Amino acid sequence: MRFQANRDVFSEAVSFAVKLLPQRTTLPILSGVLLEAQESGLTLSSFDYEVSARTEIAAEVAEPGRALVSGRLLADIASRLPASAPVEVYSEDSRIVVRAGSARFTLLSMPVEEYPNLPAVGTPTGSVPADAFSTAVAQVAVAASRDDVTPVITGVQLEISDHSLSLVATDRYRVAVRGIPWEPAGDEQPTVTALVPARTLQEIGRTFGNSGTITISITGTEDRELIAFSSEKRTVTSLLIKGNFPPVKRLFPENVENYAVINTAELVEATRRVQLVLEREAALRYSFDLDGLTLEAIGSEQAQASESIEALLNGNDTVVSLKPQFLLDGLGAVHSEFVRIAFTKTENPNKPGPVLITSQSSKDKAASDDYRYLLQPNLLLR
Amino acid sequence: MSVKGGQGERQVSGDEVDSSSATILHIDMDAFFASVELLDRPELKGKPVIVGGTAGRGVVTSATYEARAYGVRSAMPMSQAQRLCPSAIVIPSSYGKYTHYSRIVMDMFRDVTPLVEPLSIDEAFLDVAGARRLLGPPGGIARQLRARVREETGLTCSIGGASTKFVAKLASTRSKPDGLLIVPADRTLAFLHPLPVAALWGVGKATAASLERHGLRTVGDLAQTPREVLQKWVGPAAGGHLHDLAWGRDPRRVNTHRVEKSVGHENTFAVDVDDLVVLRRELLDQSERVAARLRKAGHSARTVALKLRFADFTTISRSRTLPEPTSVAKRIYEQAVELLEEQSLAGRKIRLIGVRAEQLVDGDGDSLSLWSEDDAWRDAEHVMDAATERFGRGAIRPATLLRKERPERPEG
Repeated sequence: MRFQANRDVFSEAVSFAVKLLPQRTTLPILSGVLLEAQESGLTLSSFDYEVSARTEIAAEVAEPGRALVSGRLLADIASRLPASAPVEVYSEDSRIVVRAGSARFTLLSMPVEEYPNLPAVGTPTGSVPADAFSTAVAQVAVAASRDDVTPVITGVQLEISDHSLSLVATDRYRVAVRGIPWEPAGDEQPTVTALVPARTLQEIGRTFGNSGTITISITGTEDRELIAFSSEKRTVTSLLIKGNFPPVKRLFPENVENYAVINTAELVEATRRVQLVLEREAALRYSFDLDGLTLEAIGSEQAQASESIEALLNGNDTVVSLKPQFLLDGLGAVHSEFVRIAFTKTENPNKPGPVLITSQSSKDKAASDDYRYLLQPNLLLR
Repeated sequence: MSVKGGQGERQVSGDEVDSSSATILHIDMDAFFASVELLDRPELKGKPVIVGGTAGRGVVTSATYEARAYGVRSAMPMSQAQRLCPSAIVIPSSYGKYTHYSRIVMDMFRDVTPLVEPLSIDEAFLDVAGARRLLGPPGGIARQLRARVREETGLTCSIGGASTKFVAKLASTRSKPDGLLIVPADRTLAFLHPLPVAALWGVGKATAASLERHGLRTVGDLAQTPREVLQKWVGPAAGGHLHDLAWGRDPRRVNTHRVEKSVGHENTFAVDVDDLVVLRRELLDQSERVAARLRKAGHSARTVALKLRFADFTTISRSRTLPEPTSVAKRIYEQAVELLEEQSLAGRKIRLIGVRAEQLVDGDGDSLSLWSEDDAWRDAEHVMDAATERFGRGAIRPATLLRKERPERPEG
């Protein structure tokens, strides 16, 4: 095997291929990146049985061939190679040589024949605009659970029907939902759901953010279901999480008349300031009345803090106790100048009604995106 | 029912003792389960009676003093008890009755003072310091209480009075059965020092043997040994603690808000078991009971623990913390089964299995969640609780448990 490629293109391709590899693998061979040089160019791929990534770049191939080298090491090397010269890669005995200018690296060549075949990508199910998808993933995945104890909620649920794709995630304390346009591949779109690991999906969202259109295909064989995301000669596949995603969409209230509208940046700033005196996991107290919103950090003996900001209240005076990080996650996701916080009623005296956070393009106009973030307040102390 | 440190003769106080400093009372019902059974069967009075499990590996939960005279003790295997006292009449435990009487006497205690710390179903500490102004000296209060318990229930109890909890408990033990022993503050050391070291709280067989090897037989011997030396012999914490006790120092107060630390059930099989189906069924039954008790107390548990004792008596405990606290039997059961299945039993037979809910929190825990996998089950199990409340235990049960005959076994 011997090929030459543009340094930046090569570096970016390696970085894409190894990005989804887990930090530690049980099989050393799975930490490798597979290089396949053919007349048509160079293919780079990685696979750990859960997730695979594959990309094709242009390369001048002198000798077609295959090689498997340590993915992270190759990515580190590629990103530090001298910028001016092209990259040349070739096999030499049982080693792989990487050269650029006068820099020369020799890497161990891992046994290619033991490397597993990448999963086949099925026929497309449909496609989404990359920027909307990327934004939606970032907005929703923040609410996914990071606790592996309950695998189904470590994923983001994708629900496709007709011309819409909805993304849902929850960690029990909050639920985030967003819908984006969906272009079915066929004439009719049957309802499909796919539960994708949140971490993988976030990486996909970041990587494919500027790619125009992302083609998605969901295929199921008897024992495993697979989702593939493709755009511009780059493909990522992931196994789906097995199990039923909880029916959390029904937790969202229909109409809430009691709400406040606040400048998002002001609320973020004030929350970050006042929470400085809080102990970990403690909640901030938010009191809404006609004069505005007052934030108070209470319950700590060492220090206390309070701050008032402007807020437009519709309905009754309301006090809620919220974990600052949970609120900040929601505020970070609305992507709008103003935010609406709506207070739902509850019958249960031991469980305050959840608050619903939505974007608001101005003080009195809701934003057009249908992002919704539902958050469970803590019990009010005192 | 405690018989610990019971060696030596019974001691009781006369009316003349100045009890004003003995403001902590320890009240212990005499042979509680057995005495309650005798209320229904007065013809057995004066005879050796044993209460406990009769099937297979049942153990003694209580015995009348007539049976104890033959060497019968609580927690002894029933077969051994019957060998010691072949003439004994054996009565199976009926827990409901004991709870009923326990509630009655505990309520009597609370009529004297709100400062009641129940230690178990049949014993409690009372702090009567505040009650003295209204009801007179502790000795008088204790006598009135003993009389009232006897008149209104037909049961007898023994009361120890002292200025500290552990001396009060020792005193009630010394005065058993049906006695009263007041140890005034200035008589504490005179009372304590002749006692054997094993009488002290926290001195088990191993510690007693270790102390005896160093020539310490009485509490007085302990007191005369320098603290540092004791700490070297039995460890810094235990040594310091024993030294304090030997000098009558026990700062613990009567605590009415004793929070339960865990809730558990366990069962010794009549015949050792290696059938996973049987083990799972037992876990389901125990999980149902544990969860019902959690809900009754308004608690949830963060951790589920499984206890296994193998045929060769090796015992292991394994536990796992849940993502959120639960009071739902199904969750506890699933977790327990998971822990069980992680053990490679490899044909080893199991003698005892138990489920315990630990790290209890009030209600559903501090962090409220929007939803929970438990929601549907919690509702179902609340319905079970309501049915149990109305129709008694077993009114509604999981289908798996319907045909199971529960073997008798000791509780409490």
